[in-house]
Amino acid sequence: MARVSGLVRTGIVALSLWAAGALAPSSAQMTKDGLNPTGANPTANSVNEEFLFKQEPKIGGRVSIPDQKSANLIQPQGREYRAFREDYLPWIGGIAVLGILGLLATFFLLRGRIPLDDPGPDTGKKILRFNSFERFAHWMTATCFIILSLSGLNYIFGKRLLMPLIGPEAFGALAQWAKYAHLYLAWPFMLGIAIMLVVWVRDNIPEKLDWEWIKAGGGLVGRGHPHARRFNAGQKVVFWMVVGFGAAMSVTGLVMMFPFSVTDINGMQVTQVIHSLIGVVFIAGILAHIYIGSIGMEGAYDAMGSGKVDLGWAKSHHDLWVEEQQAKTASGPQVGKRPVSPHQVPAE
Amino acid sequence: MKVFLVSVIAAVALAVAASFLLNENQKFAYEAYATSGARVSHPGSNLVGPQWSGNAGGAEHKSHGS
Repeated sequence: MARVSGLVRTGIVALSLWAAGALAPSSAQMTKDGLNPTGANPTANSVNEEFLFKQEPKIGGRVSIPDQKSANLIQPQGREYRAFREDYLPWIGGIAVLGILGLLATFFLLRGRIPLDDPGPDTGKKILRFNSFERFAHWMTATCFIILSLSGLNYIFGKRLLMPLIGPEAFGALAQWAKYAHLYLAWPFMLGIAIMLVVWVRDNIPEKLDWEWIKAGGGLVGRGHPHARRFNAGQKVVFWMVVGFGAAMSVTGLVMMFPFSVTDINGMQVTQVIHSLIGVVFIAGILAHIYIGSIGMEGAYDAMGSGKVDLGWAKSHHDLWVEEQQAKTASGPQVGKRPVSPHQVPAE
Repeated sequence: MKVFLVSVIAAVALAVAASFLLNENQKFAYEAYATSGARVSHPGSNLVGPQWSGNAGGAEHKSHGS
């Protein structure tokens, strides 16, 4: 009997042990998900990235060298800047430049080259439209702008379009020289913008006449030419675009040329975003200016080419300016004391 | 055409002048960030060498290169 009860007790103990082993999780199972076997989370109160970003927009450390910028560890805005720089900007730039070229090509196909008016009594006579100094300022700025545009576009498209064509070695050398040109030709460009502002601002003050010119389509659409003084409303738009964008590009360019002198890393990135966005719009605007000043309108290039334009053209496009100049001429020549040829009407 | 050429020459001349002025006021990192308490190695004696070739000697690299 005692033997039977002993067997029963042993069986109960064995069953209990089996049940306890089967139901209780093993220590290996407890730590499989990374939890501490005691149930406590030892890193629950430790400093993490999310906690640090609640204190500051970026995470930094401490360094012993004077360049404290090197202590910057994580700056999340940099990812947004990189996404703009690598993903959005090439599309924006491509659409802006190719878009304006497409529009100009379409306009040229529809409208053709705007011709000189039918020959009149003034056709063949010349009137001075821009003197040497004005043309000097224009061409110095224009030359710099073309190089700045190409080298600027190289920052965006060079590695995507040019490098596969010419190879990394040649592209590296070209990009380095383009960068030098971009930084150094920026100075005569800024000077040219300043000179043009001083020389032409008086003739570019908006007035009521400009609205009439715009309502009449500026002679670009339809027939006939609305009244205009020295610069019509379209030219005034170009002038203020050049001055405004030129100033913005100058300020943002100087901020980038002297990095971290006026702003921190976020500011540097925002500055580059502004510089690049204005830059591509500026290029698009100047492409339209180049079009209308060359193949878009017959006789327009002479104004900046030789400085003298056909008097008939001037009377059609800038009739009020011609009247002003001829009134001045009636009281004495405006261009020095050089003799005036019989076929040239001195204007300034 | 004469005005155009003069304007291009002026642009180049001003750019060259700007390059000299800017380079005058520019320092290498090892010059700008070296203090009495923190010495930044001259590129000729650091780990990568002046040509970033891993040859820190510099002079040896030149003799191989020339």
